[in-house]
Amino acid sequence: MTDVIASEWLKLRSVRSTGYLLLALLLTLLAGSAVAYLMTADWDTSPPQQRARFGSADPSVMVVPFGQFLFGVLGALAVTSEYGSGMIRTALVSVPRRRTLLLAKTAVVGGGAVVLGLVVASAAALSGELITGDRPAPIAAFDSSAALWSAVLANAAALALLALLGLGLGFVLRSTAGTLVALCGLLFVLPVLVLMLPQPWDERLYALTPGVLAPQLTGAMADPSLTPWGAGLVMVAYAAVSLGAGAAVLLRRDA
Amino acid sequence: MSVVDRRPIRPARRPATLGRVIEVRELTKRYGATKAVDGLSFAVGPGCVTGFLGPNGAGKSTTMRAVLGLDRPTSGEALVGGRRYAEIPRPMHHVGALLDASAAHGGRTAYDHLRVLARSNGIGDKRVVAVLEEVGLAGVARRRVGALSLGMRQRLGVAAALLGDPGVLLFDEPVNGLDPEGIRWIRRLMRSLAAEGRTVLVSSHLMGEMALTADRVVVVGRGKLILEASVRELSDRFRRDVLVRTPRPAELTAALRAAGATVREEAGALLVRDLDAPGIADLAAAARLPVHELTPRGASLEEAYLELTDDSVDHRAGGTDR
Repeated sequence: MTDVIASEWLKLRSVRSTGYLLLALLLTLLAGSAVAYLMTADWDTSPPQQRARFGSADPSVMVVPFGQFLFGVLGALAVTSEYGSGMIRTALVSVPRRRTLLLAKTAVVGGGAVVLGLVVASAAALSGELITGDRPAPIAAFDSSAALWSAVLANAAALALLALLGLGLGFVLRSTAGTLVALCGLLFVLPVLVLMLPQPWDERLYALTPGVLAPQLTGAMADPSLTPWGAGLVMVAYAAVSLGAGAAVLLRRDA
Repeated sequence: MSVVDRRPIRPARRPATLGRVIEVRELTKRYGATKAVDGLSFAVGPGCVTGFLGPNGAGKSTTMRAVLGLDRPTSGEALVGGRRYAEIPRPMHHVGALLDASAAHGGRTAYDHLRVLARSNGIGDKRVVAVLEEVGLAGVARRRVGALSLGMRQRLGVAAALLGDPGVLLFDEPVNGLDPEGIRWIRRLMRSLAAEGRTVLVSSHLMGEMALTADRVVVVGRGKLILEASVRELSDRFRRDVLVRTPRPAELTAALRAAGATVREEAGALLVRDLDAPGIADLAAAARLPVHELTPRGASLEEAYLELTDDSVDHRAGGTDR
């Protein structure tokens, strides 16, 4: 098992797509920070009654949704690039126990995504803090460092979740294009569609979409539909369902 | 760790009968309505190259994929060393496989591709370097797989198969995409692997290629076993006739036919079947007919193969006569 994990880790490190995804994450961080900086500059020149209507200058607002997509791509490519190239056959001949292969991939992608998610979420939150300095709310996102770190943990979880979701979907769909379309649908199209439903289903279902789980997890969202525990459970359910479906397909279908 | 595990595969449940390293039993694989493999049984033994022959679509690749656990048989089983491939821990030490040359991630370097595979079976990087050297890819080790020529990728596939120094090797159409030099190389490689006592199964749709490489052949068509024989037996067995030249063909033909032989005239010579050369000579002497030439002819293996698989070719160019 450790051999297979080592092999999967090397797989992840030895392809260019991983580097490109890290670069894209860095660009997203820079763009998010730039927006936060511009908002803060605007805040400084605004009169007090307008300041009260400002949102907080938190780069995470932009970094997390884009980051979720990029993490999803990372997870998906770990599988679909193998199906696309035929590498999966070579991989399954060297590791014919499919359960072992799935567990090793999940460990590497999931573990890597948690670490990377923590780095990205901290970088986003801290750069926001750095930009807003000692300005008060609402331009400053967090009133305490406890609030900041709980947001970082929740955002990291939301990012890592998408990597596992991408991985599971990749095993089910086997195609890069198909999996990326599914991820885009889940992240960007589904929330819009769901909000068109009649009340109260619009809000109830919207609360379940992967983009709004992190703020419900910390309880930072005003008027949330889910309790923090509920949001956590929904996250676990997403990962469990997609990986479970992926496992079922991998174990049953011919490679 | 780079210690190579040379232990033979221990039989798990049933003893592996000597000489039956790869064993396919009543294997059937159905894709929807079509049976790619249909009740196929054969065994492959060590110390020789076994050719796995059949026209395209005969079920060769499907069988190989079933042996390697990639495809689940609809019924029957395929065993290596007496057990299913998936039950072998660290299988690269026991079985090496060359599938299609494209079965690698194009963005990884040749070296990294092999390292990924080696690592999953606890094989060290030193062995990776040695194998790259052995297949002649040391110079392009840092090149991405996608940038390699088809022939180089084929060599890379061979390198992957050799990584664990396995006792059993399966090559699926290894000469595809190789240049003449590469073809000679892989032929020699397979012969020397077999000479070391390993079990080598190599699939091909070209009889001519197998005649040069294989000691035994397993011929399949439409998913069924047509024949399992040594190459020698095969060439002995098929379409023998005797070419006879005589200045008096009409009389000799009549005499031969009277003796029960089948005679055909071609380019001024008689082609005689169902009577061997000494028989023809005796007959001619008895009839006092001069014979200028008497040549027993074996059909080429290629012809034998075409005859064998004639009924099992799925598609053939319309109207062209072979």
